[in-house]
Amino acid sequence: MSTSDSEERSGLLHSIVPPNRVDQLFDFCGTHAWKILLVGAVLGVLPPLLGLEGGYYMTVVTEMYLFAILALSWDIIGGQTGYPSFGNMAFFGIGAYTTAILVKTFAVGFPVAMVAAALLAVAFATVIGMVVLRLRGHYFAIATLGVLLAAQQVSRNLDITGGASGIILFDVPPGTVFYYLFFGVLIAEVALVYYLSNTRFGFVLNAIRDDEEKATAMGFNTTYYKTVAWMLSALFTGLAGGGYSLFNTFLNPQTAYNGAWNVELIAMALMGGSGTVAGPVIGAFGLHTVIEYVETAFVGWQLVVLGAAIIVTVISFPDGVVGTLREYASGMDYYERGGMAATSDDTEVTADE
Amino acid sequence: MAIAQFIVNGLLIGALFAGIAVGFALIWGVVDIINLAHGEMVMLGGYASFWLLNIATGNTNASPTVFLATIPVVIAVLFVVGYALQRTLVQRVIGTDIFLTLLVTFGISIAIQQLAIQAWTANPRSIQTSFADPSMTLAGLTVPKMKLLAFVGAIALTAALYAFLQKTRTGRAIRGVAQNPEAAELVGIDVEHTRAVTFGISSGVAGGIGAFVATILTIDPQMGLIYTLKSFVIVVFGGVGSIPGAMVGGLLLGSVEELTAGLVSSRWTLAVSFTLLIVLLVVKPNGLFGEEADQ
Repeated sequence: MSTSDSEERSGLLHSIVPPNRVDQLFDFCGTHAWKILLVGAVLGVLPPLLGLEGGYYMTVVTEMYLFAILALSWDIIGGQTGYPSFGNMAFFGIGAYTTAILVKTFAVGFPVAMVAAALLAVAFATVIGMVVLRLRGHYFAIATLGVLLAAQQVSRNLDITGGASGIILFDVPPGTVFYYLFFGVLIAEVALVYYLSNTRFGFVLNAIRDDEEKATAMGFNTTYYKTVAWMLSALFTGLAGGGYSLFNTFLNPQTAYNGAWNVELIAMALMGGSGTVAGPVIGAFGLHTVIEYVETAFVGWQLVVLGAAIIVTVISFPDGVVGTLREYASGMDYYERGGMAATSDDTEVTADE
Repeated sequence: MAIAQFIVNGLLIGALFAGIAVGFALIWGVVDIINLAHGEMVMLGGYASFWLLNIATGNTNASPTVFLATIPVVIAVLFVVGYALQRTLVQRVIGTDIFLTLLVTFGISIAIQQLAIQAWTANPRSIQTSFADPSMTLAGLTVPKMKLLAFVGAIALTAALYAFLQKTRTGRAIRGVAQNPEAAELVGIDVEHTRAVTFGISSGVAGGIGAFVATILTIDPQMGLIYTLKSFVIVVFGGVGSIPGAMVGGLLLGSVEELTAGLVSSRWTLAVSFTLLIVLLVVKPNGLFGEEADQ
């Protein structure tokens, strides 16, 4: 009963949006990726020029860009390389504290502080990476979570970070600056990740994800590739953090090294489709909109919603939006060649699976 | 002398960590997942005991006997919670990517946390137990009676779990599934049921110890993650699937934390624990008592 039901529904879906349409969409995106990115960049520049200045929506959109940067950064190491980091927010915290301390205590200019934030985050990632990237699976995930919490505890206990009460920042640049800052970083990151995903570097990262031993056996220095991916992830996360402290005007250990955010951005990458370029960005925009809505409409329930959303995504469609669509699109070939009938006596196809 | 006192305090509290970690190790070994919601079971156990006392006596100032009477109920409640979680949610991701199982248990963890805040507010609470003479002195060392009771209780729960695994039919089935799920299925063990029972028992023990935690420390909805991570430190130290290893690891972690608190500052205990975790993972990922490398 239920199977015929779902078959009927998927049949209906096939007639409304045939898989070959979706396939064409993927083809179109593939061939015109740079043009699409350019159009996106132009569209993204417009809102402040058209009069969206300050206010609630500006903040929400800026936060969407911020989360998209974080999710895509996580995906470089988590989705593309297969090292599920639960400690990416450590880079964010380091970046955030760097700009906050430099701007407030040492009166350094904001742009210089941003550069310092990115550099420090990358340096920290290099040192930590030498240690934790030797671990795999469960051990890597928990070790990175340990790094995040240890960093949080350290900043809670130092004087320069303001201890548990944190740092309050005055005289911050106007909202438009952060809008363009996060948007610019996001566009640059999307472009870089997209470029890398079609290079030898990107392919090696995917090879490490699929089977690290084989990648090593093929003569790749996997440690080098892993570490560079980890540093790239830290670079953009550190930049995002560096901007965030002034954007938020307040920073304490809880917000800078936020474990829940770390899970949130993993969920974003996963929902959109991890291991793809567009997936984490789509996931970040989508999930952040939902969370923002829940936060205003049902105060105090956002983590319940996030937890439920994660569980449903992981159990029902772990490939995410882009992954699921891609599978749907590839369904066309399958049916054009005769569907099940063609595979019944053909062992090659089953072996392929 | 001060150092001996710190170590005694550490051993007393370490037994609680050990008992929690044993359940964590059991789930890891049998169900083959890292249960990031394990600390939430400790939290729920503490609250279960708290509210049972509140309903039964009208306040949370209980005599030790009344408090101990709540423990079996707490274990039963948490067993049901654990069994249900495994059957409805966790079971669906076993055998998929490791990182998906981590995400599901983390999702469960934050959802439970926030629900607990909604239900009971974020204020820390504790159970007061009244002894006529709150502490005693042994060879110059002060031992609070409540801590001693919690220590004995945690050891008793851990020993009971150990005996259960070694002596009973269900315990043998659990060990069978841990060694080889397919072979276990071949000899007629209901693997899914056994895994859920394991999850339930581990949660029950964690909950029972959570009740003791409520008497000597405080409980609050967000306490769980720290206990999960401490369990991880202990299990990595003791080796996956080794109950004696987890016991030793727990007592050691307790001592290290109390020594840090006593000699440096209590603000640094968590930072030291987490750093220890990273160092242990890198230096000795199979643990001191570990039998095999899992990864």
